[in-house]
Amino acid sequence: MGHALKWWQTIKISWSNHTAYRMNFFLQVIGPALVFFFVKYNLWSSIYSDESVEIIKGYTLSQMIDYHVWAMIVGLLAKGHSALNLSEDIRLGRISNFLIYPFNFWEFHTASFLSFQILQTIIVSISICIFWSLGILSIPSASILMSGFLYCLFVSCFWYTLQYLTGLVGFWLEETWILRVILEILTAFLSGAIIPLELYPKWFVSILEWTPFPYLTYFPIKTFMGQNSELIASYSVVTIWIIIFCFINHIIWKRGIKLYTGAGM
Amino acid sequence: MKNLKQTIFYYLKVYEKFVSTSISVGVSFRTSFTLLLLMDLFFYFSTLLSVNFIYDHIQMIGPWDKNHLLFFISFMLGIDHLHMTLVSESFWELSHSIRTGDLDFALIKPANSVFSVFFRYFRPSTIINIFVVWTFIIYYGIQVKLEPLSWVLLPFLMFLGFFLFVVIEFNIAASMFWLKEGLGINFLRMQLQQLARWPNFIYASIARKFLTVCLPILLVGSGPIHFLYDYGKWPLILSMVAASIVFLFILKFVWRSALRHYNSASS
Repeated sequence: MGHALKWWQTIKISWSNHTAYRMNFFLQVIGPALVFFFVKYNLWSSIYSDESVEIIKGYTLSQMIDYHVWAMIVGLLAKGHSALNLSEDIRLGRISNFLIYPFNFWEFHTASFLSFQILQTIIVSISICIFWSLGILSIPSASILMSGFLYCLFVSCFWYTLQYLTGLVGFWLEETWILRVILEILTAFLSGAIIPLELYPKWFVSILEWTPFPYLTYFPIKTFMGQNSELIASYSVVTIWIIIFCFINHIIWKRGIKLYTGAGM
Repeated sequence: MKNLKQTIFYYLKVYEKFVSTSISVGVSFRTSFTLLLLMDLFFYFSTLLSVNFIYDHIQMIGPWDKNHLLFFISFMLGIDHLHMTLVSESFWELSHSIRTGDLDFALIKPANSVFSVFFRYFRPSTIINIFVVWTFIIYYGIQVKLEPLSWVLLPFLMFLGFFLFVVIEFNIAASMFWLKEGLGINFLRMQLQQLARWPNFIYASIARKFLTVCLPILLVGSGPIHFLYDYGKWPLILSMVAASIVFLFILKFVWRSALRHYNSASS
C-alpha cells in the first residue's frame, strides 16, 4: 500500500511538472503533431486536386486524410516524451538521489511516463472530438475506438522502453538527444507516419515486416480505422520487442551504473 | 568606408574564434560528432525517398513533376544544411542561457549582441555533409535542365533564402525572453522549417497568403526555385529582399525590447 502511494504521489508531481509551463508543453508536444498534420493535409489535398487522381493504392482523399488524422492521434498517444530528461539525470549526477531513495530510478521515470500518458489520453480524446465535429475525421464504432486506444497505450510502453534505452546511453555519451532524433527520423519514415506503407515498394515493406517499425504507427492507425485483422499478432510482436528492450535496458543499467561517477557530489 | 571595412574585419576575426572553439569542442566528443553526421544523412535520405515513393503512384504535384519537386527539396536541404552548421545550436543554447543567466557572458562581449548570441556556436560535424547535399542539388539540377545563369545564381539565392529564414527566426527566438521556459519556441521554429520545406502551391489559399505575406517562410524556398524555373517570376526575389529588410528592421526593435526584459538569473 505504501509503495502504491509513492507511485501515486510521483504521478501527481510529474503531472504538475508537465502542466506547469502550458505554452511550452503545447509548443513542444501538441504543436509539432498539428503542424505535421497540416502539412500532410495540404499536400494530399493538392495531390488529389488533380482530376486524374481519384484513388492511390486504395486510398481516396477522405481515407487518406483519415489515415493522417489517425497518424497524428497515434503520434500523440503512443510516442511518449517522458524519458527526455533521463540522460540529463545521469550526466548531472542527479541519479545519486535515486540510489538512496526508497523509490528507484526506473520507478520514478515509469511513474512520470504514466502521468504523461494520462495527460495525452485526455488531449487525444479532445482532439478526436474536435476533428470529428469539424467533419475531418469519421469516427469508428466504440469498440474499434477502444481497441485503438488500448493498442496505442500498449505501443507507448514499447516507445518508452526505446526512449529509456537512449537515455541510459548517457552513461557513455555526453549528448543523447542525437540518438533520440535519429530514432524519431527513422521511425517517422519506416513506421508509415509520413506516408502509408502501401505506397512503399513491396520489397521494402517485406523487409520492414521483420522490424518493429510498422507496429509503432501503421498498425495502430489501421486498428483505429478498423482494418487491422492481425491485432493479436500485433500485440504479440510488440510484447516480444518490449521484453527484448527491457532486457537490454536492464543489462545497460547494470553496466552503466558501474561507470557512474556521481558528478557534482 | 574605412570604418566599415574595419568592422567587417573585426567581426570576421571574432567569428574565426567562435568557429575554432566550436571545432575544438565538436571533435572532443567523437561519437556525438559521428552521430550528428549520421542524423543529417538519415534526414536527407528519408525526405528524398518519401517524395520518391509518392511519385511512384502519381505524375504531378501541382505544376511540378518528380524532378522539379526533388530539386526543390534538395535546395531546401541545402538551406537546412547551412542552418544546422551556422546557427541551429545557438538557438538551443539561447533558451538555456536565458533561464540560467549565462546569457550575461554573451552580452558583455564587445560585439553586437545578436551576432554573439546567434553565431556563437558552429557545428563542425555537419559541414562534412556539404558534399552529400550538393550532390543532390547538382544531380536534380541537371535533371530539370537548369540554365547556366541559374547555376550561377543558385548559391546566391540559397544564401538569400537562408538569410530571410534566420532573420524571421531571430524575431521568433526573441520571444524566449518573455517566457519562463523558452524551449517550446525552438519547437515552434522547427515547425516553421517544416512548413517551408514544401512548395507554396500545396497550401490552401488563406494559409498560402498568410505564410507568404505576413510570415513569409514560404518565400524561403519557393521564391528562388520558381524564379530559377521561370525568370519572369523575379518579383518573388524582390519580395524576399523586401521581407528580409522588413524583418531585420523589426528585429532591431524586438531585440532591444527583449534585452530590456532580460533579468539575468545568475546575478
